[in-house]
Amino acid sequence: MCQQHQCSTCFNRRDCLKMVSLAAMGTGFLASLGQEPSANEGPGLTDYVDVKTLRPQPDVRVAATFLELPRPYWLGWPGTAYDLDGHQKEYTALLNASAKRLGITVEQQAQPLNSDASVDAWIEKLKAEKPHGVLVMLQHLHAWNWANRIADETKLPTIMFAPVGTAFTGHLAGPSRKTGVFVISSLDWSAVEMGLRMIRAKRMFEETRVLWIRGNQRNETVVERLGTKVLAIPRDTFNQEFDKQPVTDEIRDLAADLRKHARKIVEPNEEDTINAMRAYATAKRLLARENAHALSMDCLGMVGAKLVPTPPCGAWTLLQDAGITAGCEADLYGAMSLMMTSYLLDRPGYMNDPVPETVHNTLIAAHCTSGTRIAGFDQPPADYVLRNHSESALGVAMQVLWPEGQPITLVRFTGPNEMIIDTGKVVGNVQTPPAGGCRTSVEIELDGIEDSRDTLGFHQVVTLGSHRRVLEGFCQLYGIKVTHSPRFSTFQYGGQA
Amino acid sequence: MIRHVVFSLILAAACASLSLAEVVEFTSPGFPPSRMDAEGRLTEDWGSLKIIVEGDGVMAQGGTVQVVRLEELVPAAVWSCEAGPIRVTATAYRAPVFPSGMDVLTVTLQETAGQDRHVTLKMVVNPAPRVGLSTAQVEKRTVLAIPLETQQLLKLRDWGYTIDTTAMPGWAKPEGECDPAFANIRAGMGGIPIRYRFRVTRRSQANVVLGICESYWDRPQIRPLICLVEGARPMVVDPIDRWGRHQPGTLLFTALDNDGDGWITVTIKPVPGARDQNPILNVIWVFSGDQRPNLARVAKGELNEQALYYVDVGGVRDQPILESQDLSFPVELAANSSKKLTFYVACPGGSVVTPELTAWTTESLFQAAKDVWKNWSQSVTAR
Repeated sequence: MCQQHQCSTCFNRRDCLKMVSLAAMGTGFLASLGQEPSANEGPGLTDYVDVKTLRPQPDVRVAATFLELPRPYWLGWPGTAYDLDGHQKEYTALLNASAKRLGITVEQQAQPLNSDASVDAWIEKLKAEKPHGVLVMLQHLHAWNWANRIADETKLPTIMFAPVGTAFTGHLAGPSRKTGVFVISSLDWSAVEMGLRMIRAKRMFEETRVLWIRGNQRNETVVERLGTKVLAIPRDTFNQEFDKQPVTDEIRDLAADLRKHARKIVEPNEEDTINAMRAYATAKRLLARENAHALSMDCLGMVGAKLVPTPPCGAWTLLQDAGITAGCEADLYGAMSLMMTSYLLDRPGYMNDPVPETVHNTLIAAHCTSGTRIAGFDQPPADYVLRNHSESALGVAMQVLWPEGQPITLVRFTGPNEMIIDTGKVVGNVQTPPAGGCRTSVEIELDGIEDSRDTLGFHQVVTLGSHRRVLEGFCQLYGIKVTHSPRFSTFQYGGQA
Repeated sequence: MIRHVVFSLILAAACASLSLAEVVEFTSPGFPPSRMDAEGRLTEDWGSLKIIVEGDGVMAQGGTVQVVRLEELVPAAVWSCEAGPIRVTATAYRAPVFPSGMDVLTVTLQETAGQDRHVTLKMVVNPAPRVGLSTAQVEKRTVLAIPLETQQLLKLRDWGYTIDTTAMPGWAKPEGECDPAFANIRAGMGGIPIRYRFRVTRRSQANVVLGICESYWDRPQIRPLICLVEGARPMVVDPIDRWGRHQPGTLLFTALDNDGDGWITVTIKPVPGARDQNPILNVIWVFSGDQRPNLARVAKGELNEQALYYVDVGGVRDQPILESQDLSFPVELAANSSKKLTFYVACPGGSVVTPELTAWTTESLFQAAKDVWKNWSQSVTAR
């Protein structure tokens, strides 16, 4: 019937089916409104996809104000000598610079709030406008009541900046440990910018649609608290798209770069690197087609079934370096943990299989998909050796050489409501062989953990730098429970028989 | 033009017929549907839930069910019924909660005859569930939950637990002279916090005493506890380290109704990373803010009568904060007013979130549904 219509002014097939379906309801017993994926053919096989366009770029609105008491000041901290105008000018300039750097919008009150009435009015304004976050900058010890009211009554994520001279321990005792609040008692403005980064990172989580490539279902859900959309698509989608992917100039160039910049090439040949970059181009095309910003794939299942000539490891490294989360083994919360370092710290990490080394009492964090720009997306990459994926001896995986002596952080969402955070330092890069396992194998001496066997989690994300307090701040701002590996081993008190 | 006229006519005919449907389906992209019928029954893979309203003059007179799109986007089933002076409307849609979704059911009760009324909304779950504080389970699967927004509309007791933890009477073996309530506990199995609320004068102070006795472990650092009392500094206590095994201990907190909601909240949580993640609590005493109690006498139970509240946690007189029982919800309706009560219902293949522990709200759930549906084109089917 419908297919027989050739008239260009008539309904298309989809409209026609809709009408027939609707008409059928007139006599029907069971009615439903169904769904189908939005039609988006996406880029062509040889189209160039700029990887930068795949990173989420949410709008971020922050409302800001100074809180001061009526002038002139007389006694009481910060004191009569405190240059209110000078400091407010300085902090306003710093705030504007931070906003520009982070690409967020800050709407600052033109005048400091200095009365119950002005605070009341601002609270009502915030409730109505619902910015993504609030920044209050205290300018007097007695302004804390207002700061607390703003956080409590708006229930918006609130950064409280108390330059030294505006807070005692008693002022911080309550708000600094309250969910939804991040308190900075310092002269260090970089902490305020980090608070703004937290708000931006949360918005990036909300804007992210992660492709969950596994199984044979297509559906879409949303992760609690973080608001990330999860678009599940059948695993075969990837290998079918990979099979179609021709070798383009971009792929040839990237493969050449990969070989050129390697400190050493061990197993992969030229075809392996070409295939790895075909996987990269396939992933970009798929992400663009699905309006997605990150992915996590059942790669081992795909390799095990010999559906692709290369595991995606090498491609994942490139995506990670560009700020696009690419997770392994369809571990969704592993991918969310990768997003955490990417969105908050602007650097890639890698999810790892944790191996306790019982002679040195260290942890060996091993996987095949480490990014190379581990010091930051805008920093020079770390050295790497081109290897194959060790479990399958196929394709390309980088052994990224992590800098010895440098601090690292382990981060892992166990779910949307809990994060494991631990820290340590790199003590070496383990070679394979003699070791088995994964190509990037970093040996870590853990901070404050008596026995490395007690390290919590699996597929924790390793990221360069000591970020414990920043991550804890993010968790407090958004109500995520923080867990650390136990400082003291409890096994001595009753290991299992 | 002709195309649009024809389409509109067929659409109008179809829409007119929607109310004739006896069963409607709704879902979220890619998931099996739930069904609602003209009798106000929601059918899932675990069983069904039927809405019944009772009260003076309330009489159900049949109902209709139709499929709609909320805000022209999210598919939903809407059942409505004129029950005498009460108009009942139930709207159900699928919230796309990771990983399998969850149905959100909102029942609106509207008084239409211009008279204040007391009615009761009943949720009849089949098969019969095990009913907890704010959840109901069928064969260990949580199939129904009462979100916090709805709990606020329900009648609350002056005190009670607000999270469903495990009562374990006689678990502890307190040694020495002490209040008998030390023998009983609640345990938050699997790391669930133990939480109680106490009604107080808004913004007032109180002295809260927690009684704890550890009778399982005999060494420290296994089950330390985080004690959070509203308005007081958080305290970490390791009962074995502080008092020893089987030894009843007490902790005093100066509490304050910080948020001005007229309640003081007490929470016991596990210490992150500790070996035993099951928090325990034996006794709570709440004294007025101007009465600084003698802890030795409190532990012996000598001041129980003077306490504003005395809770034998996990004992026979322990109670949930919600007065509603057996999924029966009394609702006071002023003349010509309406109230909305929302519930979470397990959909095929899914479970419901625990209201006290989740970040989801009715608002964020609907936003999630809109966010997902805007990426999926719409189609209509009939069978």
